[in-house]
Amino acid sequence: MAEVEKAGEEAAPNSTEGHPHRAGATAARAGTTAIIELRDVGKTFFRGKEPVEVLTHLNLDVPDGSFEALMGPSGSGKSTLLNIIAGLDQPTSGTARVAGHDLTKMNDSQLAGFRSKTMGFIFQAYNLLPVLTALENVELPLLLVSGLSSADRKKRAETALRIVGLDDRMGHYPRQLSGGQEQRVTIARAIVNDPTIIVADEPTGDLDRKSADDILTLLERLNKEFKKTILMVTHDPAAADRATVIRRINKGALE
Amino acid sequence: MNLLTVAAKNAGRNKGRTFWTMFGASFAIILFVLLRTVLAMWNLGVEAAAKDRIATRHKVSFILPLPKRYAEDIRGVPGVKNVTFANWFGAKEPNHPNEFFANLAVDSKTFFDVLDEMALEPGVKDKWLEDRKGAIVGDVIAKKMGWKVGDRVTLSGTIYPGDWQFNITGIYTATRRSIDRSEFIFHWDYLNESLPERRRDQIGWIQARIDDPSKSGDITKAIDKMFDERDVQTASMSEKAMNLSSMAMLSAILAALNVVSVVILFVLTLILGNTIAMGVRERTNEYGVLRAIGFRPVHIAIFILGEAATVGLMAGLLGLALAYPIVELGMGRFLEENMGGFFPYFRIDKLTMVTAVGLAMVLSLVASVIPAWRASKLPVTDALRRIA
Repeated sequence: MAEVEKAGEEAAPNSTEGHPHRAGATAARAGTTAIIELRDVGKTFFRGKEPVEVLTHLNLDVPDGSFEALMGPSGSGKSTLLNIIAGLDQPTSGTARVAGHDLTKMNDSQLAGFRSKTMGFIFQAYNLLPVLTALENVELPLLLVSGLSSADRKKRAETALRIVGLDDRMGHYPRQLSGGQEQRVTIARAIVNDPTIIVADEPTGDLDRKSADDILTLLERLNKEFKKTILMVTHDPAAADRATVIRRINKGALE
Repeated sequence: MNLLTVAAKNAGRNKGRTFWTMFGASFAIILFVLLRTVLAMWNLGVEAAAKDRIATRHKVSFILPLPKRYAEDIRGVPGVKNVTFANWFGAKEPNHPNEFFANLAVDSKTFFDVLDEMALEPGVKDKWLEDRKGAIVGDVIAKKMGWKVGDRVTLSGTIYPGDWQFNITGIYTATRRSIDRSEFIFHWDYLNESLPERRRDQIGWIQARIDDPSKSGDITKAIDKMFDERDVQTASMSEKAMNLSSMAMLSAILAALNVVSVVILFVLTLILGNTIAMGVRERTNEYGVLRAIGFRPVHIAIFILGEAATVGLMAGLLGLALAYPIVELGMGRFLEENMGGFFPYFRIDKLTMVTAVGLAMVLSLVASVIPAWRASKLPVTDALRRIA
């Protein structure tokens, strides 16, 4: 497993106390707990009848509470890897254990439940519903949480928006927000369910430098202050530099 | 906020397309409402037929006459309370030869007792009985032709040739919607006395009131049995059956209207289905995002079906809102005044309103089933890939 520990930086805190998803995680390396464990993972797609091997015998351990960047050229398999970790796709071979769940043994419905409780998603294109306000967009994942009153949902969405610094834009529609603000709403939506892991696919890809810096600072804060494990796919070396670990993938294998 | 409110909000996302879809669908709804109203109003006479009234006609055909004495014979049948009879006169008003209105020679003493939904002001009947050439006309035809009580009217006979003089002695109104308010009613005696001997004492049909509607079957059988051995046999039936049999002549037209209304619904489904499919295709990436954050396939289906139901409901309501003034302020009045014999009352009934809106919603849901199923079954990664 190839990884580049950044010199002079400490690993992110790994508090496992009282967190249900962390109970099943196994120790992957001395002094840390791996919240993501991939073993011998392979993924093959078919282009017509021709098999295309995207990931080959990939092993990966991501410690709980780390902020890792995944870099690689287009078609290297980084998005496929992210999809498998996030429970969006199943590997063709091998096992994927995330936050104590063996994803390869879960069906579609179980994976949906896993994603809603454990994962937070940040996409490059924001993907907010244009007919909903910022507050309603953030509230959306909470519709899946049973036993939560409308008032509770609103309160939690307001808190998430406050964390990302958008407490003055709650009633705004996506079209009334800048790109950076839209991405912050996406981050608020990603954290509103208090997920263990946040996956970000090119979160700064559509942003100018200043907005990108703001978003990366916010991700750092979520990692350090709120102990979220963050896995970020990026092409941007400056963005990757903000992570505690940078991993490089090429032709379906980690370097 | 819940899944359905989000879905409903999504319907307003592409306002232009939603508007034009609703507009197109609303035209289908207008056509549907008009056709269903024609059918419903056509059936009104059947639905509103008096249960305690029976009718007797010639066994062979409605247009063949019965001997007048049959009316007296029927009066003696157990269970029969009152009897009247009438003749189709079929005359035209010479100044308005294209104006159709029913004109009937009736048994003056009994007609308005047996057909008591035709309401007269107190004293009108007595005045009419005193005037041999007296005629009572419906309020709709009176208004249309400009007839007032006291006017002298000449009708040109077709079945009974010649010019026939009448005095308007009264105007009737209707207490039931199924009653034609454009009839011209006069004394059968006036007609009978004016005919040559060989054509006298013949009537078109007989109507009778009975004591107990549940015995109408037994009574009509008894009447027909009574005339079985005579030269002219009869066919007796409930008023409802009588109205139905007269409509049977037009059954092909009614069947065609039914078919056309089904075709309209099919067109409506295509309009709605096309819009829904386009919207779903455009938003596949969003559904991918929703699936990614934990929504299940069934939630995606609810989003799409909810949006479709909203569009269908709005299209139905818009169609109804447009159809209502067309019928109530234009077409309905025109038909009542000009085709009162067929459509004495032409208004959109509640069942048609509910059916139109309900069907718009249901068909919209039907049209969205396949797009909803496809979108919900699409693998998350495939749906997300459409972002790029």
